[in-house]
Amino acid sequence: MSAALECVDVAASPGGALVLRGVGFSIPAGGRSVLVGPSGAGKTTLLRAIAGLQALDAGDILLGGRSLRGVAPHRRRVAVVFQEPRLLAHLDVVDNVALALRAAGVGRAKRRARARERLEQVGLSAFVNRSVQGLSGGEQQRVALARALCAEPDLLLLDEPLAALDPNRREELRGLIVRLQAELGLTTLIVTHDRAEAAELGERVALMLEGRIVQHDEPRALFERPVSAAVARFFGVANLLRGDVRDGLLAFGGAHIAVPGADGPATLAIRPEHVTIDGDCLLRARVVESVYSGSFVKLVLDCAGQRLHAQVPPGDAPPAGAQTGVALPIAHLWRLPGAQDEQRVGTAPTG
Amino acid sequence: MPDTRLRRSAGVLLAAFFALPLAVLVVRAFADSWRAPALVPQHFGLRGIREAFSGIALDAFANSLVVAVIVTAIAVAVGWPAARVLGERRLRRPGAVFVVLAMPLLVPSYATGNGLTEWLLRLNLADSITGLVLAHLVLVLPYVIVVLLSAFGPRVTVLEDMARSLGLTPLQRWRWVTLPAVAPTLAAATFLGFLVSWSEYGSSLAVGGGRELLPVILLPFVRSDPQIASALALLFLAPAIAALGLAARAARSPL
Repeated sequence: MSAALECVDVAASPGGALVLRGVGFSIPAGGRSVLVGPSGAGKTTLLRAIAGLQALDAGDILLGGRSLRGVAPHRRRVAVVFQEPRLLAHLDVVDNVALALRAAGVGRAKRRARARERLEQVGLSAFVNRSVQGLSGGEQQRVALARALCAEPDLLLLDEPLAALDPNRREELRGLIVRLQAELGLTTLIVTHDRAEAAELGERVALMLEGRIVQHDEPRALFERPVSAAVARFFGVANLLRGDVRDGLLAFGGAHIAVPGADGPATLAIRPEHVTIDGDCLLRARVVESVYSGSFVKLVLDCAGQRLHAQVPPGDAPPAGAQTGVALPIAHLWRLPGAQDEQRVGTAPTG
Repeated sequence: MPDTRLRRSAGVLLAAFFALPLAVLVVRAFADSWRAPALVPQHFGLRGIREAFSGIALDAFANSLVVAVIVTAIAVAVGWPAARVLGERRLRRPGAVFVVLAMPLLVPSYATGNGLTEWLLRLNLADSITGLVLAHLVLVLPYVIVVLLSAFGPRVTVLEDMARSLGLTPLQRWRWVTLPAVAPTLAAATFLGFLVSWSEYGSSLAVGGGRELLPVILLPFVRSDPQIASALALLFLAPAIAALGLAARAARSPL
């Protein structure tokens, strides 16, 4: 049965270095969250802690409301799909998939039949009697997925399951993971370092920076309504406009932008793809750089001394050196909560 | 195809290099008289075989077998955890451990045996199987550990983590994951351990006293009576070849 996961102030230091600094977040039963963050943020460590492969310094992890403290990894009912498939070379594909059933004492014929069903689910019915040697990377990762599903876990953890695959295989397996998770209603946590992949894989996305979850929300919120400058930067919100709000207006590049909330210092965030070029606009800018990159043109604009990044359709792109007007659509402007936000992320004391 | 011909002749040459001395050994064991220029012995006979299967030689064979089997079993049981710790680089200063392990291998084994005898006498273990086992362990353990440690490391631990997450109990994990993963190296380490003990001369001579081992009674005959030495050597060869067969088999499918 699928169970809810809850992490409460989880701290851990693999190899002696403090990596998890008080992780708190939860996934409801049957939910699918993606844990995203730069390398070294502690994503894999958190996954290992949940699976019981990494001891905690402090905090607790609950599965289905029950603390996992002191529960041995093999009794947690938490299955892991690792970045590498980790198949056993001396067993054939079906026996690899059926490993958890064999451990549970299911008879050979019965467990092989159930393993075959799992292989069918991951689209590998033709590989039943194959040896694991000679499978492609994508096929091996599917076998690993089938093996994890065969354990009928309460929680499924996937650690960068697509990282080692080429783009086409990645696309296929991503679709498969989302479809199977929805079908089975299995509580799932997926680790990735790729923000686009996070958005595509997760119902919700948790961003981990320096050993903490800084925002756990629906994918769109992380891209468009980041809670801090650090979140904004990770999700490619290249434009952070800083200034003082007076009477609800922020002066910027000779124009005034209406800003919700109290007067005082504010940081506005807007994604490059939401910045539009409009010759009639009051906000004037000089094009510093114009780079054609296929489906869009990347522009770097100088707007009264502040740099603005924009992504515009190739047809409308002004050349470098041109003077132009810039529109910052109010609907896409997001005021970061908290003015001292910048300092808060990353430097807060631990504990 | 000159390439296959070259490979075939290289193979024949290599096989001859190993097989010819053995062939001579077999002929020599059955030659009651065989003087130098002749390619074939003048008289065949069973004198050597009779000597080789006499009481004293068979006792030595049995002693050697018992000692080698016990030594190998202990060395693998004790060496496994040690090899694991070293192979997984869990020690901060493995260098010191390797130096201590290698020391008996750097000193001639007769000297090691002599030193040990002094202790065994004081422990009342001289001239006993226990004394011989202890003396051989000093030499066998480093070999077993050094060979076996190469089997351990991330390659095995990642598989064990996988097994844990799939609900395998520690025993199931060891039986289905760890053992198959290290089987080829374990077989090699066991085979080597057995052979080192089986063929150990220096420390066996120093410690042995009343309990003679096969190499100790074989060596004097090499000069004095090559026919008996050859027959004993055939006796000496049998368990080694059996061990090689077992090791090759175990490497493919353990247990």
